[in-house]
Amino acid sequence: MYNKLIHNILRFILLLVLQLLVFDNLNFGSYIHLHIYVLFILLLPFDTPQWRLMIDGFLIGLAVDVFNGTPGLNAAATVFLAFMRPFIIGITTRKSDLEGKNEPSITEMGLSWFTVYGLLLILMHNLVLFWLEAFSIKLLGIIILETLLSSLVSLLTIILIIYLFKPVKK
Amino acid sequence: MYNLFIFLKKHGAVILFILLEVICLIMIVQSLPYHNRKMASVSNGISGNFLKTVSNWNDYLHLKRENETLAEQNALLLKRLGCDETESDMEYYDDVFTYVPAHVVNNSIYDVNNYIVIDKGRADGIEPDMGVICENGVVGKVVNVSSHFASVMSMLNTYSIISCRFVDNQYVANVVWDSKNYRYGLVKDIPSHLIINKGDTLVTSGFSNSFPADVPVGTIENGHDNDNEMFSTAKLKFTTNFSTLRHVFVVKNNYKSEIDSLCITN
Repeated sequence: MYNKLIHNILRFILLLVLQLLVFDNLNFGSYIHLHIYVLFILLLPFDTPQWRLMIDGFLIGLAVDVFNGTPGLNAAATVFLAFMRPFIIGITTRKSDLEGKNEPSITEMGLSWFTVYGLLLILMHNLVLFWLEAFSIKLLGIIILETLLSSLVSLLTIILIIYLFKPVKK
Repeated sequence: MYNLFIFLKKHGAVILFILLEVICLIMIVQSLPYHNRKMASVSNGISGNFLKTVSNWNDYLHLKRENETLAEQNALLLKRLGCDETESDMEYYDDVFTYVPAHVVNNSIYDVNNYIVIDKGRADGIEPDMGVICENGVVGKVVNVSSHFASVMSMLNTYSIISCRFVDNQYVANVVWDSKNYRYGLVKDIPSHLIINKGDTLVTSGFSNSFPADVPVGTIENGHDNDNEMFSTAKLKFTTNFSTLRHVFVVKNNYKSEIDSLCITN
């Protein structure tokens, strides 16, 4: 339990630093923004209660916001992602699939499941984020384009990061 | 009481969700007017110093180009010293405006509303509404100041409006940004009888107290659409390259309070 906590805190800090130092500075044009810090919420264990997911989402979103100077923006989107996570897990798995599984990770659940799970949640996160950032319906076309492109690239990056830090054991 | 606990147990997650989202929305809405937007980032000592440290690391990567820019600037200044500009309006400008060099510690160009953080603040005499320029042209306006940092609303911001003038024919128009591409902006309120060509240059009008006159803003990229019978719009290419911005100058208008007091009494 104690180890798990330290592990999560380290993951929190690592993803935050990666997001702020690397991915906020990568420029792929005006339509692609990478938000890889949501991986922290995606990877929390299955038995994490929903309220803890949301508090954690709020904290990591707010941490990103403080350094980006956008109070509440990333926090709102990440809280929404955390709120939706149990529903998405619910519709993408059966009860029997989850037996003996700890984490919604690629090693435990497989790449194809993780892709669907990750993509759905990142799409929701980015949609809320870009809509709140633009704060108007006028830019709807741009928002949707931004959401689709950013989500796909973010997911790809997240999967690469997972393989980079956790090679699949054979 | 018991019922309350049952209710909380059943709907606790939804209530917490709504509560957290409301907190977030309050934070967003409070910071919506651009004046408050960067406040959290700039006035917070931790994030200000964090940004500064990151920028220090980055500087080593850009030392070569930095040297070249400084050499160019030196050459420009030497040239200015060399030629004897005894015209009276030259003196007038030197008297009215002073320039504070500053260093960009954080910059964004891909958001809908972009802001720049510079490492000069109230301690260096920076105040909101001062103009910011770089060696190529206009950058933006100071919107927020803490003791050692300031946030600048760059021209890449949907709230930004810069009053400009065509070099060729002295007509005045406004430059705004459509949040699409950081290289291009829009020129609005061009009188529709005016014939504009690709390559026409726009400079600051000097009508606002923030900028001296004749600082380059951009060149016309392509023709204009008629908004209505009176005015038309054209696409503009900024002279400032916002993505490589590192050194800027804050423009201090020494007579600002005097000019403002005149405006108020009128």
